[in-house]
This record gives sequence, C-alpha cells and structure tokens, in this order.
Amino acid sequence: MNNVPLVHFLYLAAVLFGIGIFGVLARKNAISVLMGIELMLNAVNINFLAFARYWNWNSLTGPVFVIFVITIAAAEAAVALAIIISIHRQFRTSNIDDAHYLHG
Amino acid sequence: MENFIFYIIAGVTIASALMALTIRNLFHCALFLAVTMFGISGVFLYLNSDFLASVQVLIYVGAVTVIIIFGISLTRNMMDERTKAMNHQFLFSIVAAVVLTLIILGGIRESSFLGSEHPLSLVVSSVGAANSDVAQSTTDGSGSGRPFQGGAAYLGGVLLKPENGFAFAFEFVSVLLLSALIGAIVIARKEPS
Repeated sequence: MNNVPLVHFLYLAAVLFGIGIFGVLARKNAISVLMGIELMLNAVNINFLAFARYWNWNSLTGPVFVIFVITIAAAEAAVALAIIISIHRQFRTSNIDDAHYLHG
Repeated sequence: MENFIFYIIAGVTIASALMALTIRNLFHCALFLAVTMFGISGVFLYLNSDFLASVQVLIYVGAVTVIIIFGISLTRNMMDERTKAMNHQFLFSIVAAVVLTLIILGGIRESSFLGSEHPLSLVVSSVGAANSDVAQSTTDGSGSGRPFQGGAAYLGGVLLKPENGFAFAFEFVSVLLLSALIGAIVIARKEPS
C-alpha cells in the first residue's frame, strides 16, 4: 500500500490548477483556453478523489462527483469546440481576442 | 519505491501540463495534454480508483484529445508562424497564476485539519486493511462482506440505487449530455444559405 501523504496529492492538484489558470488567461488561441479549462477540471478531480480516499474511505460521494465532473467536462468540450468552429467560420479567426462582436 | 513512482508520475504530469500550455504548436499542445491526462490517470490509480483511471484514459486521452485535434485541424489555417501564442496579458497571467498557486499551497500547508496530528496514518492503514479484504471479496464475486469501493460494479450500484440519492442526477446528466451533443451539432452546422 502506498503511503504518499494526502497533502502531496493536494499540492499536485494545486500546481495543475495554477497551470490551467495560466493557460486560460494567457493563451491567444481558443482551443488552448479550452485545454486550460480541462486541466483545471482534472485538478479538481484529483482533489475530490484524494479527499474521498484519505478521509472517508467508505463514502462514494467523491468518486460519484468525479464521474459527474468528467461527464460535464466532456459535454463542455464538445459544445466549446462547436462554438470555436462557428466563430472560425464567422470571423475567420481562432483568436478569442478578435471575437469581440458583442463588445459594442 | 511506490512513493518514488508517484513523484515521477507527478513530475511528468506537471511538466507536460506546462508544455501543453506554453509551446506554440497547437498540435504538440494536444499531444502533451494527452500525456498529462495519462499522468492524472496514474494518480487516480494511486488513489485506488481503477475504474476512474480507465475512464480517464478512455474519455480524456481517447475522446477529448481527439476532439481537440479535430478542432485544431478544422481551424488550422489561422495558425501561421508569425502569430504569437500568448496575448498581451501574458505577464499579468503569470503573476496571477503563480500568486494563486502559492496562496493555495500555503493554505494547504497551514491548514490545521491537515496537520501531522491528523490520524492520516490510521486512515491509510485501514485503507491497507481494506485492500487485503479486497482479495477475498473479489474472489468469491458475490459482493458479500466488504466490497471493493473503487470497483466499477459497486460504483454503478451506488449510482443507480434510488436510496442513495444519485439516481436522479445520473439520469439528468445523461439528458444533459444528449442535449449538449445535439447543441454542438446545431452550433457547428453550416448555415443553410
């Protein structure tokens, strides 16, 4: 049985979340922003599973939440890519800073 | 030794996540994202969730990365060599991400409920005891005794039993998935001229 402390899982998840935040804020391409969001969701999944495993071994709320998060992330990725393709068709760009049609 | 492998997995995951969000070539970004997802599935294995680890490989490495690569190749002609990968708030983003990460790390470090006095070792040793039970409960296959909590069959039973309260959410999320896929098709469809 592994004896990695719980906090190391939390550290890993926090670093991954920070990298995802950086990708969402700094990348120009909309697909890269989507990758950052996926990374953040996965970091949260690590936290859910780590707490579920180390704190309440009998509870399955953590794994069930991870399943829901994965499902919603998959749906979100599909819708986001459809929107990106639609933006690409309308504005001939995939830079999200160029899609400021609603900006006035 | 097992801990050592965990730190290798964590290092590979963090390094490939950094690569996936900093290098210019979008196609390489998607491949590094697949490596990151493999690493996260390895972390799930360390958390005794074999079913979720395989789901992670199937959905993220198998589906989401492929969808992202499709999206990249459908919008590829805008990615010429001269465009920069980062926008104008690059420095601000680095500062914000680093500060946020440091705040979270400091909060984890300082939090009293995660101190060394917490019976973490006790929990872990009971986890080990549960694992030794697994060998017996999975061999008879009847599910009697202490079930393996990460197993797919047990997880599915928990999700679908009405008294657990997850059944409605489970059905609802399937409706959400269906409507999201229909919506994606409608949004990405070419307008009839």
